[in-house]
Amino acid sequence: MRLPRRRLAVYCVAFLFAIVMNFAVPRLMPGSPVDSMIAQLGPRATPAAIEAIKARFGAIEQPMWQQFVDYIVGLAHFDLGVSVKYYPQTVLEVLGRSAGWTAFLVVTAIVFSLSIGVSLGALAAWRRGGRFDSFVSPFSVVMIAVPPVIIALATLFIFGVTLRLLPVGYAYDPSLDPGFNFTYFGSVFLHAIMPVLTLSPYLIGEFQTTMRSSMISVLGEDYVTMGRAKGLSESAVMFGYAARNAMLPVLTNLALMLGAVFGGSIVTEIVFNYPGLGLTLYTASVARDYPVIQGQLLLMTMATLGANLLVDILYGVVDPRIREGRA
Amino acid sequence: MPAVEEMRSRPIVTGTGNIISRVSARVFGGVMAASFAMLAAGQAQAESVLTMHIEEQTSWVQNFNPFDLGGRRQSTMDFVYEPLVIFNDYDSGKPVWRLATGYKFADDLKSITYTLRDGVKWSDGKPLTSADMKFTLELMLKNPAVDIVGVGESVASVEAVSPTEVKINLKGVDTHFPESLADFPVVPEHIWKDVADPLAFKNEKPVGSGPMTEIRRFTPQVYEQCRNPNYWDAATLKVDCLKLPQIAGNDQMLALLPEGGLDWFGSFLPQIDKTYVGLDPEHNAYWQPPAETVSFQMNLKSANAGNAEAFNDMTFRRAFSLAMDRVSMVDIAGFGYPVVNAHASGLPPRFDSWRNKAAEGAQDEWLAYDIDRANKLLDDAGYKKDGEGFRTTPSGKPITFPIIVPNGWTDWIDAVQIATEGLRKIGINASVATPEYEQWQKQILDGSFEAVMNSRADGPTPFRGYFQSLSTAFGGRITSAPSRYSNPELDKVFDAYRRATTDEDRKKLFDQVQLIVADNLPVVPVFNGPTWYQFSTKRFTGWVSKEEPAMNPEDHDNNRMRLMHLLRLKPAE
Repeated sequence: MRLPRRRLAVYCVAFLFAIVMNFAVPRLMPGSPVDSMIAQLGPRATPAAIEAIKARFGAIEQPMWQQFVDYIVGLAHFDLGVSVKYYPQTVLEVLGRSAGWTAFLVVTAIVFSLSIGVSLGALAAWRRGGRFDSFVSPFSVVMIAVPPVIIALATLFIFGVTLRLLPVGYAYDPSLDPGFNFTYFGSVFLHAIMPVLTLSPYLIGEFQTTMRSSMISVLGEDYVTMGRAKGLSESAVMFGYAARNAMLPVLTNLALMLGAVFGGSIVTEIVFNYPGLGLTLYTASVARDYPVIQGQLLLMTMATLGANLLVDILYGVVDPRIREGRA
Repeated sequence: MPAVEEMRSRPIVTGTGNIISRVSARVFGGVMAASFAMLAAGQAQAESVLTMHIEEQTSWVQNFNPFDLGGRRQSTMDFVYEPLVIFNDYDSGKPVWRLATGYKFADDLKSITYTLRDGVKWSDGKPLTSADMKFTLELMLKNPAVDIVGVGESVASVEAVSPTEVKINLKGVDTHFPESLADFPVVPEHIWKDVADPLAFKNEKPVGSGPMTEIRRFTPQVYEQCRNPNYWDAATLKVDCLKLPQIAGNDQMLALLPEGGLDWFGSFLPQIDKTYVGLDPEHNAYWQPPAETVSFQMNLKSANAGNAEAFNDMTFRRAFSLAMDRVSMVDIAGFGYPVVNAHASGLPPRFDSWRNKAAEGAQDEWLAYDIDRANKLLDDAGYKKDGEGFRTTPSGKPITFPIIVPNGWTDWIDAVQIATEGLRKIGINASVATPEYEQWQKQILDGSFEAVMNSRADGPTPFRGYFQSLSTAFGGRITSAPSRYSNPELDKVFDAYRRATTDEDRKKLFDQVQLIVADNLPVVPVFNGPTWYQFSTKRFTGWVSKEEPAMNPEDHDNNRMRLMHLLRLKPAE
């Protein structure tokens, strides 16, 4: 499976752009990591101690171009530097312990929402204008519009605090040690319910809306009419003929939405004290921990670009018309 | 945290507390709650585990390096590294001897000799001797980055006179020196001599002298710190392990409280009688006695000519003070937790035994809330109003300033809001600015701010707070001294205090300090913030309380007496 050269070039340019932005953006924020280190020393920090700390993190006060060169050289060696907030841990260690949890949350939420959103969209389109459609479709728009923070706080309050049905924080019960056993996985599952449910409404709404409109146009195609004419059952036509083909725009949409999902996961993780990348990014931003912020943004950029690439490739698999040479 | 961690009178952080430490609990999945509760009960019989919350973090990092103030777990001091001596500020600053059993100044006051307790062992069984203390002091002298108590400024050299005696030669006369060693950790030479970079060392498996040195379990979500097998005071210690669940902020704390897993914590809880005590009135309790004095401090060296002229005029400062609605600050902004400080000397209530009544007469008149009087004061002094109704200085320069307060410190922000409303009522163009904590601190240190609401870091006696915030030497060098006040008369008294050798002399000199401060009103005191202390008697007894105010009850890293508090606790029958 080969991609058109032009698409590859676009990915390269996007990647380079991301690298540069990644360097620039944290430095545009007010404050510096050295200030934040000194702040941690508290009100009794003596000038000598402050000078010593400054010297230790001196690299940060080097001229911009020097910082940029160091940054690029570091990247080439997969060396993202040392965290300021979690000094002396490296950025890779900091990101390593949280990346898995976010990936778990995001993938679970996507799979969950995809199955629900696509089914709802297909059904709504099938009986377009019916009672089901006129309820579900406007509701999807509402779900897209409600910010994740509201859903997160509402679920936390209702299910966590008031009813006390679900745990209000952590990725698993802190008294457990991670292990390959039912108790541990059960705990992970239980702790993921509220975060996943918080991330999902937006996704479900998006998938439902996209699927519905795409399905409606597919339903007008000749092959659907033919499927019906052959006397196939409703569900066979709906899922086997129409929905399969209508899925393509949903896939494109999925790739585009990945950024938004990461954004949503920041809020969700903060509210539910979930130890993922979002919480790490937030903590790092507050502490002006440039190395971690950079590493984090880079990781997210690569994840988004990677997902797009994957969708591009998948597209070729799903839709033969896209394949090079026939386009 | 943030972060940023030893602000003694830190404010309430309701949002996402990057700065501070507070709160804790263990969380159970609802479905599993029952089974785990049973498990926990079974465990309690075997050993007594005290669940605490000391600091807000989004993930635990295994770091017990006492010299890394920002990165160390805040259970490092006291629990892993026992102090030499603790001065109990709730008991007139009397010493509680720990690793040291005494100290003595030489007759010329140029050196001090500490006597160490005989037979103390490190947690790995090796003896703790004067060599370890000498090594630690020299480590700090050699590496300013790990000099967390400022010995570089006061200590000339160190000698180990005998295995239990350490002689410290001072750079100048300072009878106040032992207090400055309050936060000093002695580390074992046999471990640390091989550490190449003492600031970067994470000290994951610490060898210490305190009661809780063994790190039994450490995950990003919880860690357990257990009994030192060689603890010298083991007979007093009735708690086997400390358990510290990770909690990132006050919001989470509130959500976790119904689980009832916490024994000792210090969090801001709005409506505490309902949100905490009400959950289990039989066991849940709190005591939040007033702590440091919070004051408005003006930058007397402001680059803005109009502001500088006003700030340096005592009449202006008095009018400023008269415009402060202290009761609203306490009741509305502080949820009723702080107490009003209406003394021009600003003396915190817990130092009552030091109080000089002579400094609390006519001077305190300026600490009432009286808008009319403030207006009259300014009118009479020639602060005329311009076209927009804002006053200018007597020489006609505009006065306009923001009062800075760190972003997220919601109760403080509200208090400053109340202050600016009062100031605007007397025609002063003041506003609120909320930079990030780091920026706030930077502006104080580089002198680019105009006015700030701030507290000072008190020591076991009131002297340190006054000395560090109002002496010429400290002005602008630490965040506790933003106003850059300079008064030769006061400096002279401070100097005499540092040479004083008897408590009687100190008391007399401190009377003078209060008098000078009250007469000049260099800063405008408003209230004393609360100490944060909540506890549960379900699993442990022996808690310090209002009925038995033996010591500062807080479990945060700024309170050395928390060690003695831990040693008071016993598992409930």
